[in-house]
Amino acid sequence: MTQSLSFRPYDVRQEHEMNEPLDFNRWAQLKPVAKVFKAMITNVIRLTEMEKLFHLRIIDDTERERFSFLPGQFVMIEVPGYGEVPITVCSSTSNKGFIEVCVRKVGTVTSVLHRAGRGAKVGIRGPFGTHFPLERMKGHSILLIAGGLGLAPLRAPIFYVTENRSEFKDVHILYGTKSPDQELFDYQYESWRRIDGVDIRIIVEKPDERWKGPVGLITELLDDVTVDPNETYAIVCGPPVMFKFVCQRLNQMGIPMDRMFVSLERRMHCGMGKCCRCNVGSTYTCTDGPVFDYWTVMNLKEAI
Amino acid sequence: MKHLNIERRRPKIGVFDFTGCEGCELQLANKEDSLGAFLSAIEVVSFREVSSDNGSDYNVALVDGAISRPDEVERLKEIRQRAELLVAMGSCACFGGVNRLKNAYDLDEANREVYGDCPKQTMPTMSVKEVVPVDLEIPGCPVCKDEVERVVQHLVWDLPLPTYAYPLCLECKQRYTVCRFEFGELCLGPITRAGCNAPCPAGGLGCWGCRGPAEAPNYDEFFALTAERGFDRQIVRERMGFFGGFDHVLAELEKQEQHEAIHDDHA
Amino acid sequence: MLFKILPKEEFRALVEMILEANEVIAPKAIATNARGERIHQFLPIRSFEEMDLEYKSTEYSAKTYFLPYRENLCTFEFEGEDWQQSIQYYIQPRAIIGLRAHDINALLKLDKVFIRDRFPSPYYISRRKNTFIVGLDHIPEEDEFSRSMGTHIVTHGFDLFLTDLSDRYFVAINSDRAFSLLQKVKTRDVADADTHAYLEVRRRIRDGFKTHIEVHSLPNVLDLEFTSKVWTKWGEKCLNCGSCAAVCPTCYCYGVTEEVTMDFKKATKVKQLYSCNLVDFARVAGGHDFRSDKEARLKYRYYHQYRGFLEDYGEPKCVGCNRCGRVCLAGIKPAAVIKDLYEESV
Repeated sequence: MTQSLSFRPYDVRQEHEMNEPLDFNRWAQLKPVAKVFKAMITNVIRLTEMEKLFHLRIIDDTERERFSFLPGQFVMIEVPGYGEVPITVCSSTSNKGFIEVCVRKVGTVTSVLHRAGRGAKVGIRGPFGTHFPLERMKGHSILLIAGGLGLAPLRAPIFYVTENRSEFKDVHILYGTKSPDQELFDYQYESWRRIDGVDIRIIVEKPDERWKGPVGLITELLDDVTVDPNETYAIVCGPPVMFKFVCQRLNQMGIPMDRMFVSLERRMHCGMGKCCRCNVGSTYTCTDGPVFDYWTVMNLKEAI
Repeated sequence: MKHLNIERRRPKIGVFDFTGCEGCELQLANKEDSLGAFLSAIEVVSFREVSSDNGSDYNVALVDGAISRPDEVERLKEIRQRAELLVAMGSCACFGGVNRLKNAYDLDEANREVYGDCPKQTMPTMSVKEVVPVDLEIPGCPVCKDEVERVVQHLVWDLPLPTYAYPLCLECKQRYTVCRFEFGELCLGPITRAGCNAPCPAGGLGCWGCRGPAEAPNYDEFFALTAERGFDRQIVRERMGFFGGFDHVLAELEKQEQHEAIHDDHA
Repeated sequence: MLFKILPKEEFRALVEMILEANEVIAPKAIATNARGERIHQFLPIRSFEEMDLEYKSTEYSAKTYFLPYRENLCTFEFEGEDWQQSIQYYIQPRAIIGLRAHDINALLKLDKVFIRDRFPSPYYISRRKNTFIVGLDHIPEEDEFSRSMGTHIVTHGFDLFLTDLSDRYFVAINSDRAFSLLQKVKTRDVADADTHAYLEVRRRIRDGFKTHIEVHSLPNVLDLEFTSKVWTKWGEKCLNCGSCAAVCPTCYCYGVTEEVTMDFKKATKVKQLYSCNLVDFARVAGGHDFRSDKEARLKYRYYHQYRGFLEDYGEPKCVGCNRCGRVCLAGIKPAAVIKDLYEESV
């Protein structure tokens, strides 16, 4: 008496079907969320005991051409078998053909990355997240302030500023580390200073016998910096306790909080605003951040 | 591994049994579909259950069973000296296991009860870490082969170690198991470390805590919720004491209560 | 939306027809609890009889059929120095019968995250679009508060929605495939008497709610009471077991791990639904934990439910089914926590 009727399967792989309404007035589009670009490690530079710089080249020509990012954005680096980690791209946005990422050895994925050699193939998803609004900062003075590993996410904006040097007024790079041997990218300071006309100051907490520069906390470097607070933007990268003090100090100097930008770090499993691991209060670090202005961060519960 | 241009290691493994049922060792020989790959990833130097080899040039020692005789202490210390890495495998090795129940009785009485007229040399049961330092622990009665594989993968390829910080409840939920408390039964799931895939509750038996405590379990609330559901305090504690994983909590609790009792007397 | 009247024996024919060619998930009595009540779960059924539409509620939501507790996202196959990634989306169509209005509303909320957000998830979309949904009205349980959440009525997100009028169902038809399916059984048009009977049921549902929470000022109260003692009180009770999130029809947070075969020839990326109450949820490599105490974790979940989700998607995430309140061994119930917060803020 009954008639058989099986439902027509809906095949997600056929992209055009994604435009079909789920129900009235609703529609959706498909992006391949789990797909990674295959990339080759073309160079590995040891920066310190803990950090290495990797040059990654996306293997597929079309994907490589298509790949672009903005300063401050991050990629998910997949080491098949081991897992995925979010890492901020630290090369210049004008760099074509390869990206650079600075990786600190902290967990299993980063440890195995540290052991991987040239020619190894990893996967890349992204870029994800917000970026430092450098377009908006043009015509102003810029304070680029980093603590420790914070110089890595700051490097892409530094490149942007130095490559477009004439469009910015005074540019100060202030960098603080625990000790001189923890300095990242020390081979680039001279060129930033001499070729690009950037004021670069470095401070360490614990000097070694060869250290001739200032000793103390990063905020002390601000004592000697004079900027017009109405004409200045700041980008601050480092551990939360560091950017909290720096931003408070900058605010005392008269720089509005929405002209200071920081980059937050959280655990991430997706990069797409789904897994909730990176949530700060109700904000997703991966899609609403990682770059936030300081006013927003101040208002995020449990951000600092 | 080749894809990362990293050399793989092939750890030399020795498997050693102490006081226990050797069920954990049998688990090692389990899971036939991957047993070949498992055994070729490592070099078995000494393993009574699968091989007659009895070498001593191992760098990883898998130890199962509890320590309950003076000669075992000596043997374990020797193994510790040879091994770069010592893995305690199973609830007996990790916590003392069921053997530890003996500690609640008079030693001679226990000896007589078990061996009758031919008493053996014995001592209070200890876990491996009470005798020598332990690098890794794989709890469970018996251990789960999957977890052993993950540990071996960590040793061979540096793959992430499985970490199960959370209690068992999540794994019950993943299996669609109805909570044993719904049936009015006791279950140690809310305080026990996950990682076994919760077979007991799914099979109709509340958890007995063979994997020991999860990370930072909420004991206060667990005691409160079991009391609220009418479980006798002693029964809950006995269940927690069964595999030895919660002994430190129970000991702490008793100390506290004694202290309070003295306090009450004074008051 | 079209409305029809479906006699109960015709409904049976309809279900049997679907059963013949498709997997069908429906509430099924699987055991009796200590209080002598039947326990229901959404499980695959093989015959009409296995289904129990008289069910009061299920211990777990039907979420797992859309967001599986464990799901393979992709596999990597290693060949020498190279590897290939392959991705598989589930595409076998199936039907779920007997979902409550709040459960369908829960799916609509998940749709916002997984379909209508910046990064639509093909895994979810595949399951969602391949699931034929037959909803069913019910008189609320005493502890449900879906009326407060505005989720006791559902107007879309399903194929068919049934309201029991004792000998017949009042059916809302919301898809072309549902409409075609209904052509195969006998239905009739809705008469005035049916509409009256239907409205009467709707009234009984509306008046059946015994638990209420005040939603509109809740985001504000949550902000004001961020450091309230209420969180300490309830946080102290939390077992951090993640059961609330597991049974919740809308909790979607997850973790991803990789599993490698013993011969290192294949790695599988496994997604596992997680919970923000689990102890290591916000811990990062290196050991720092952004929410290191029970209180912060419990509070975070409530914030996401009633404030954070609202900020992102314009509505709270909770649908008021109270499954979390029932499953919580420590007795943490949203209605009680929220009541405490309000009392604290006066």
